[in-house]
Amino acid sequence: MTPQTASQPAPVAAAKLQHHVIYVNDLAKSKDFYINLFDLQLSALNHPDSSAAMRLSKQEMHFFSFGFYHHDICLVKHHKLKMDNGSMLHFCLVARDAAAFDDIRQRAARMALPQREGRMLASAKILAGQRAFCVQDPNFHWLEIIGDSAP
Amino acid sequence: MTTATFVPPNVLPSLLQKFAVLLRRKWFRELVLVVPTITRRRFSNKTEDYGVFKPSLASGIGQVSIYVQNIARSRAWYEQLAGLRHGRTCEPEPHPAKDGWQIRCCYMSAPEHEECLVLIEERDPAGNITIPSGMSFFHTAFELQGNRLEDVITFATQAKQAGFSRNYGVVRHNGEPPLGDGETGGNIACYFYDPDYNNVEFFGAMDTIENYGARYGATKGSARV
Repeated sequence: MTPQTASQPAPVAAAKLQHHVIYVNDLAKSKDFYINLFDLQLSALNHPDSSAAMRLSKQEMHFFSFGFYHHDICLVKHHKLKMDNGSMLHFCLVARDAAAFDDIRQRAARMALPQREGRMLASAKILAGQRAFCVQDPNFHWLEIIGDSAP
Repeated sequence: MTTATFVPPNVLPSLLQKFAVLLRRKWFRELVLVVPTITRRRFSNKTEDYGVFKPSLASGIGQVSIYVQNIARSRAWYEQLAGLRHGRTCEPEPHPAKDGWQIRCCYMSAPEHEECLVLIEERDPAGNITIPSGMSFFHTAFELQGNRLEDVITFATQAKQAGFSRNYGVVRHNGEPPLGDGETGGNIACYFYDPDYNNVEFFGAMDTIENYGARYGATKGSARV
């Protein structure tokens, strides 16, 4: 990177990772999973019959919001290509608060999802008072849930 | 997968990347959608025609870990294009989900998001590095500093000057000219393939539950197709 001079505006950089768009095999199953585990809300549906971009790319995108941004997680079904687990190891969702973390955990138990204790990556940091567990979604994507302990 | 020159099947050929700009033209979108329009299968994809927003049990994305073939190469890409900061690169550790496999993790941070991205080299039991398939996620997305249209334009310009090629955008994901591509979310976005063809979006000005109503009022999505 070149040093900035007084006449150059500061380069714009990424501020934060905001949303993640994952491939799924079965949209209905995946939607049920994320809605039931996190109370996510469908915020838009881009379908080959409703969207030119989706028609051209042969994809279908279901957008979900955590309640502030238009979308935080999107599920994509590619109608011609097969998804796999070969380009992502995991992704992590932050529980809204300690009660939400407990609620997600109880829901995971009710859904009979095998739970892995702690963070997904052995080298990942866990801050004092933080809790984490991992589950696999219906497409075998590893999903980590992290949250604070109750105050 | 062991082919070093592997290009994932979902990667847009460069010719299509050039034509994708046509999605910013309403006549082109209408042309593409002429069959579902005539056969009355077309429906609204607009947000207000779906659920009512309320807080969910999750509040944000904490971290995403993606496979790369070469941490040094990918680290440089994310530092130079995205302005991410290298936190630490760890010694090899056992793969958490595959017996006998190993991974090495490189943690990258953004100014407002510590260790948001993990670049992972994965080795099979024989020690061979694996080639990312490109088929686990469509893209991952970073909000840009400033979070305005001008910031996305500036980002795209500085990226081009630095030699990075966009695979799509700059577009706005709604139907409003001149940048609208007919999609949803309102975010102004541009997309790049990283060295392993992982697709990365950089955006600003996404609609929120507060500003969505202000933008469209009570107009139904079907009235804005």
